[in-house]
Amino acid sequence: MISFLIKNIFKGFISLFGVATLLFFLFNLLGDPSRMLLDQREDQEQLENIKIKYGLNLPLHTQYFNYLNDLSPISFHSTHQNDYSFLPKNKSRITFLSTNDFVGVLKFPNLRNSFQKNDKEVSSILVETLPNTLLLAVTAISIAFIIGLLLGIVSALQVNTFLDKCIMVISTLGMSLPSFFSAILFAWLFGFVLHKYTGLGMTGNIVEVDDFGEGTKIVWKNAILPSIVLGIRPLAVIVQLTRNSLLDILSKDYIRTAKSKGLSTYVIIKKHALKNALNPVITTLSGWFASLLAGAVFVEYIFNWNGLGKEIVNALNSSDLPVISGSILTIAAFFILLNILVDISYSILDPSVELK
Amino acid sequence: MIKKIISFLCIVLCLISCQDKVSKHDLSEVFRYNEKDNITSLDPAFAKNEPNVWATNQLFNGLVVFDDSLNVKPCIAKSWSISNENKTYEFILRDDVYFHKNIAFGKDSTRTVTAHDFEYSFNRILDPKVASSGRWVMQNVKSFKAVNDSVFRINLQTAFPPFLGLLSMQYCTVVPKEAVEYYGTEFRSNPVGTGPFQFKLWVENTKLVFRKNPLYFEKDEKGNKLPYLEAVAVTFYADKQTEFLQFIQGNSDVLYDLHTSYKDELLSPTGILLPKYKDKLALDKTPYLITEYIAFFMEGETVDNNLLIRKAINVGFDRAKMLRYLRNNIGNPATGFIPKGLPAHHQENIDLYQPEKAKAYIEQYKKETGNLHPSIKIATNSSYTDLFEFIQRELQGIGLNIELEILPSPILRQLKANGKLPTFRVGWIADYPDAENFLSLFYSKNFAPQGPNYSHYKNPVFDELYEKSLGITDRNERVKIYKQMDSIIMEEVPVVSLFYDEIIRFKHENVKGLTTNPTNLLNLKKVYKTK
Repeated sequence: MISFLIKNIFKGFISLFGVATLLFFLFNLLGDPSRMLLDQREDQEQLENIKIKYGLNLPLHTQYFNYLNDLSPISFHSTHQNDYSFLPKNKSRITFLSTNDFVGVLKFPNLRNSFQKNDKEVSSILVETLPNTLLLAVTAISIAFIIGLLLGIVSALQVNTFLDKCIMVISTLGMSLPSFFSAILFAWLFGFVLHKYTGLGMTGNIVEVDDFGEGTKIVWKNAILPSIVLGIRPLAVIVQLTRNSLLDILSKDYIRTAKSKGLSTYVIIKKHALKNALNPVITTLSGWFASLLAGAVFVEYIFNWNGLGKEIVNALNSSDLPVISGSILTIAAFFILLNILVDISYSILDPSVELK
Repeated sequence: MIKKIISFLCIVLCLISCQDKVSKHDLSEVFRYNEKDNITSLDPAFAKNEPNVWATNQLFNGLVVFDDSLNVKPCIAKSWSISNENKTYEFILRDDVYFHKNIAFGKDSTRTVTAHDFEYSFNRILDPKVASSGRWVMQNVKSFKAVNDSVFRINLQTAFPPFLGLLSMQYCTVVPKEAVEYYGTEFRSNPVGTGPFQFKLWVENTKLVFRKNPLYFEKDEKGNKLPYLEAVAVTFYADKQTEFLQFIQGNSDVLYDLHTSYKDELLSPTGILLPKYKDKLALDKTPYLITEYIAFFMEGETVDNNLLIRKAINVGFDRAKMLRYLRNNIGNPATGFIPKGLPAHHQENIDLYQPEKAKAYIEQYKKETGNLHPSIKIATNSSYTDLFEFIQRELQGIGLNIELEILPSPILRQLKANGKLPTFRVGWIADYPDAENFLSLFYSKNFAPQGPNYSHYKNPVFDELYEKSLGITDRNERVKIYKQMDSIIMEEVPVVSLFYDEIIRFKHENVKGLTTNPTNLLNLKKVYKTK
């Protein structure tokens, strides 16, 4: 297990390096971000000040090195205060090397500061937004898993009946609806037209602030519509996967043996069939969960959910590269972590699977 | 199993009912508006766009302000004098202006504003480490100094009659050194000013709340303290449908910038509020000091910057029709470069649309150059696609082929500044309400990227008139020169003016005292709501 973890974490770092490199060079094609920090008036002197402040005046290879140096937990920094790579005193570090001109430190990865938000740390932005996106993704995947599993089981047990066909049609519809369309539709229908009956709003966050800034409250019902919308597609996939997987398992000999012993359908499903049928579902879940983090953009935008997706959209519109870069790297890290957890969960679900 | 379900439901109910204290105030005491473009900072040094300007206008004050008729009025400066051939401005400050109460001031939690605060604030704008987007405001300023606590003096390098207009900008508002140093980079989200409202709470992307400043120095005509409102609450719905429906539901008090998708829901084709909303809503329309235009890069000889092509485009499409069908008559067809609302605007009702003349220009171009299929490419961003598709179709009718290049805003801006686009769309918003701000776009010493002359237009006669206007303090005399300069632009067509925008604002009937002004500055100090 330990060697498995070490190997996969190392591979993860390589992947993150690749993502960071790709991001850096792609963003340099997006146009000069320093211009977006000016108002409508061009001011060359001001532009130069901005470029110096954010190190954008340096040669591209130097900018690349500084970028990786900031992200890396092991990094080297100039001791001269005017150099871009100078590490301010308020940044936590453990120094392992010190010379007149540079220091080598162990530190937390520095995702840098937002261009547009006057140097607000990207890590602070992530702390504010990522939990909201995680909450949305967890709720969406839970809804998708529970309801998808139930419907998949019903569909498998009622195979080729009218009920089975209805479930399949709904599942197909769910898979083909784009998330931005279903978000707009649900927001309008349940949050506006039927607002009196549902009590749900078109927008909202988990934490709501009153208009006088005096009261805050947790409003769980604000998560209902965005979670349902976000969960529609994985739900549809889980229904079909569960159904097909269960049908395959139910045709096995050991299930026939269990039936012949007089065990009830409930016991057969719960104790014998479901565990084996869950393997492909777990694989799908992990992939969907990770993609929900990235794919919550439309849903967060429509429902004004203060999550990472909405932050990324704002950052893209204003060329706020540190925010875009930090967000994408965080999502990539989640993907990697989830893959590791899924591999571990396989070995738990199926003892015959070995972690290598 | 049943116990587990009951336990789960109890936890859920506890979570649902989790809340802090709820406000005791009435909703009629709070003004709510939506900011779909997001506010990036509450620091006035970074008030570079409308969302930031509107927010900082509630929190900060400067030496002077403009009233709704664009007249300069005293603010923190109670009076001023201009001397030394209009190059020295001396301001006498009020002694009853207090900063918002804040921990940064120590145990007194506030103090009065002095001239030294203005000196600090102006130095801050110039500080390269701050990298304020408003640094350009000081480019003609030679020096500034607090003579004593009450007197602030500014010396200019050359006379600049619109200088008081520059001082009314948010960049030139006063900030306290103690708060800036106390909060550091967090000053952007912990602003301390002197404005009618003070900062209360900001949950980014969710809600921003200001509360009434009990120490505010201004009173109304009857001697009542301002502001009337208890709070201002700003939401950040980015989706236009959501913003619109929230307004209809009564969750916000005003709606600006009606998106084209919803204009027919509220407005008739002629731009009048539909009868079904007449009892619930009010519509305000005011000229907005924005000119939307197509610019041509004038360096080198290309199809785009050929005079005949430019003239043909200028008279080759129907501006009134474009506004009627694509913007429900929101906006005014351009007749010159200076927008409606400024004294130097061309008041005559002229319609530039002359398709036969346009065709004649194209034919003449074909004869002179031998290019029988003239074609140009116009770059714009996606927000203006529908307008430019209309222009494209109209100009194809006169024999000019137009290709549209839709670019993301950052790339468009970069290419425009570096002279890489032969023809492109621009919108210029008045930084301050003086026609000089618009005409400076054609002054040859303002070539981009050093300045806003994106066309690289150069005309010695124009330059001479521009420099002459800077030495004239009499407003009426200056207006005459501005009109001459505008005529040169209309004659030489380095740009094709499309239309002047209009401020369209819907508000609920119970919102009173909310006035409009051509700079579209949101002023809430005299706003109140009836129950």
